[in-house]
Amino acid sequence: MSALLRARELRKSFGGVRAVQGVSLEVPQGAIFAVIGPNGAGKSTLLNLLSGVYQPDSGALDFDGRSLAKLPAHRRVRLGIARTFQKIRLFKQLSVLENVLAGFHIHHDTPFWKYVVLGATGRFHDEARELLEFVGLGARAAERAGALSYGQQRMLEIARSLATRPRLFMLDEPAAGLNAAEVDFLLERLERIGARGTTLIVVEHNMDLVMNVAQRVFVMDYGEPLFEGTPREVQSNSRVVSAYLGGEFA
Amino acid sequence: MLAALPWVLHTPYWRGILVVCAMNVMLALSLNLVLGYTGQLNLGQSAFFGIGAYVSTILVKTYHWNFWLAALAAMGAAGLLGLALAAFAVRLRGHYLAIASLGFAVITYQVLLNWESVTEGVRGIYGILPPRGFGSTVALFYLVAGLAFLVYLVLGNLVRSPVGETLRSIREDEVSAASIGINPARWKAFAFGVGAMIGGLAGCFYPGFVGTLVPDAFNIVESFTMMAMVIVGGMGTMIGPVIGAIVLTFLPELLRGFGELRLMIYGLALTLVVLFMPGGIVQAWNALRARLA
Repeated sequence: MSALLRARELRKSFGGVRAVQGVSLEVPQGAIFAVIGPNGAGKSTLLNLLSGVYQPDSGALDFDGRSLAKLPAHRRVRLGIARTFQKIRLFKQLSVLENVLAGFHIHHDTPFWKYVVLGATGRFHDEARELLEFVGLGARAAERAGALSYGQQRMLEIARSLATRPRLFMLDEPAAGLNAAEVDFLLERLERIGARGTTLIVVEHNMDLVMNVAQRVFVMDYGEPLFEGTPREVQSNSRVVSAYLGGEFA
Repeated sequence: MLAALPWVLHTPYWRGILVVCAMNVMLALSLNLVLGYTGQLNLGQSAFFGIGAYVSTILVKTYHWNFWLAALAAMGAAGLLGLALAAFAVRLRGHYLAIASLGFAVITYQVLLNWESVTEGVRGIYGILPPRGFGSTVALFYLVAGLAFLVYLVLGNLVRSPVGETLRSIREDEVSAASIGINPARWKAFAFGVGAMIGGLAGCFYPGFVGTLVPDAFNIVESFTMMAMVIVGGMGTMIGPVIGAIVLTFLPELLRGFGELRLMIYGLALTLVVLFMPGGIVQAWNALRARLA
């Protein structure tokens, strides 16, 4: 497997806080790649660097052999990089369906004057509804996104991102706040997305999810890479265990 | 129904109010695209109204252009200035953008006031005629109301298209919009540009209707009036600003009997609307219908 995403020596500081310091990683094409670490380890910052919400202070980043340096977030989406947020960021006043429809933005090729003059509407209704079915929200299309339950909002955010048709899909703590049944559903959907050939990066605290779905696990602590390996290797690594539970358990 | 209005309100005075009302509808629609759909707190819309009025008038009076060509040029000029204001909107949000756009309107007003060699300043421009063939108030009403209706249809198609979802996405959450590939800077510029062009178009008909042109008609207070129309009617809906413009054009006229109390009642009505129906008349109507159903 060749690497789809390659980061070398990424660094990012906020004032005096070195949130990410010297992270290098390679995400193989088609893999489900988990990033774990204690709170404040820099996982979300890393995801923000990869998706272009932040630009790194230094380091190199390339996607499919193409440099992402200085490329803003919305340009990276066009290359096939999508993401969800740790703190859910839906378009709350829009309907569930409209949230997903908005996700097709980069795939529209009708010039806007045709909508104005001919009154043409979007062409992606069918696909948007399929995506809603896929995340279990088929019956909620007309509701306001803000009215959905927490778990449903997470799934809707996933559907909206999938509408961009990503090759690399990054999820920031998708299981946070979900109940057990919802976690099971999420896990099964992530595997299906992976099975279609989409590469996944999942930042997660939920160890069930990480150990069951991920092929590679990247462990961070204090902004630095701590360990990388298979789930089995991570579980038996003494440095990882001590980072999570404190030194005396190692 | 629209066509019958000048015969219901048949005195010259009320026919004049009808023309003003049609202009206000156009202005409220133009601001609503930026404020209601794209969520940009724009207090500079009076500037585009003024630029449309002055550019079209000067081109017709001084350079003897055909009115319709002058109107197109005025829309273009307003649109370009809209893009200039959008440059602020890319960097500023919320209250900061409100202040910057207010400053923009103040500057425009001051330029109209002080660039006397071109605008005649406070002395004003006199003897401005309505566009040829629309000399009567009724004909002018049909023209402006027809154009307002056209603007309503065009913007309605626009906001129902994927462009509408894009603009509203930016209103809801810019970071999130960027995460699905939307370039917020580009689409804000689009909204400001189109909004300014329509504001400029409305401005083209004002001088011919009044007959004279002075900068005071484009004081920043006008920006607040337009904002009130959008909010009272219902921001981010198509019909809301139309209703808001009609209500806030006729309400002060109907209150004339109250003399000096008029402005107080007007202000109180505005405050009550914002307090008790933040979604405007459209929201109140929907709530009422839901309760009765």
